[in-house]
Amino acid sequence: MNEYAVLSIHGVIILYGLLLLTPIGSSLATVFHGRYESTKTKRGQLLAGMVFVCFGGFTVSAHTLWMHNKLSEGQSVCSGDTILNCDGLIGNLSYNTDPLFGQPWGLIGMVAFTALMWLVLTIGKDPMSPQAPLFIKGGLGATIAGLPVIGLLVSYEIKEGLICPFCTVAHIANVIALVGFFLLFRLNESEEWAPEAKKNFSRK
Amino acid sequence: MDVNGFGKDGENMNSMLHNEEASARSDAGIVAMSMFFAGLLIVAFTTSPIASGTQVGERAPIFSGEAYDGTSWKSFEFEDFLDLTWSWNSTNDAPWIAVEFLDTDCYYCKEQATQVGEWAKTYSAEQWIGPDVIFIAIAVEFVSDSSRAEVVEFRTQYNNDFRFVDDLGISIAKEWDVTATPSYFLVQPDGIVAWNSGVDKLGWDAKEEDTFAITSDDRRVKLNEAIEVITLLNGGEQ
Repeated sequence: MNEYAVLSIHGVIILYGLLLLTPIGSSLATVFHGRYESTKTKRGQLLAGMVFVCFGGFTVSAHTLWMHNKLSEGQSVCSGDTILNCDGLIGNLSYNTDPLFGQPWGLIGMVAFTALMWLVLTIGKDPMSPQAPLFIKGGLGATIAGLPVIGLLVSYEIKEGLICPFCTVAHIANVIALVGFFLLFRLNESEEWAPEAKKNFSRK
Repeated sequence: MDVNGFGKDGENMNSMLHNEEASARSDAGIVAMSMFFAGLLIVAFTTSPIASGTQVGERAPIFSGEAYDGTSWKSFEFEDFLDLTWSWNSTNDAPWIAVEFLDTDCYYCKEQATQVGEWAKTYSAEQWIGPDVIFIAIAVEFVSDSSRAEVVEFRTQYNNDFRFVDDLGISIAKEWDVTATPSYFLVQPDGIVAWNSGVDKLGWDAKEEDTFAITSDDRRVKLNEAIEVITLLNGGEQ
């Protein structure tokens, strides 16, 4: 299968998550209403969107780790004569591991998106917990911390004069997750976070 | 209050079992970790990554710096000499790389230098039936203070007509796990270490993707023997 066809699958997952974060998310979320009651709320839509974004970020990171391993075997996975070339970056031994632990960037991405997924799922499972704002701030902090890392990787791309489309999609997923956590943060501070509780309270 | 007849412990247990926050965290943790390990397993089962290192069969660490080529010190990238698409049955003429770590003040390096210079000429494509072997010397400073001028002088004195990379700061030596000189490595065109003088009786068979024993009449296998045995085994015959 063409590598860009596979990339578009990751992209579609992330795009769907992004749309769930936008105002049109309410109509997109209707497909989940039957199974997940919470997606009828703004909070549920945002969290559902974040699950898709984190999952897409995770799968594309796993794919870059797969490419990293394939390239170490001496195979070509995504090369070309254009500026879009993963082999030149993921296969570049000077840049393809993090300078701190020496681990492939794909693995770092997998760990990061797993951690973000854990935060999102924890918030989703117990949104009324007093710990929820802490988890939201944790997610916000983690995605902000990802920005300098993205900056470093983009600097490698500039240095080599190449763009790695798979890496770029993972970077975009991190930025969307940042926006998502920011929206959750704002929502958490408003009354819209728990409309059910408000309804029950006014009934009493 | 006695809970299930277990007193205070039972009460604590009961509170733990009904702690929704902890339950949410652990449920989410199970889902997230399942996703992580599923991803990792798929990658692990569909690839066979090669570790970076200087043992036989590992991918040689790449390095860059400045090298003296007989005229001046120029920037040097080890990666420029590699061809990642090379395989044991390749018909292309990608060269093999012999890497020598030496110290200009080391007695054994001086003793070997003339012979290494001759090997560099012997194993060029025009001189023998095997593939071209490029020689690269990496000058380190283990014994006593050394300088670029000494490196240039050493190169000229022993007719070592190949590139001498400046590693007087021994950063490349550390990365290549070299603690004594002279140390020799034979690297396949795709960057895999095929022979290491530290474990001199083992060579890398690219076709079988496994090590094999190299025999020698001498006590130790020399670089020239390793070149002849390994390059010709791995599709080197032209």
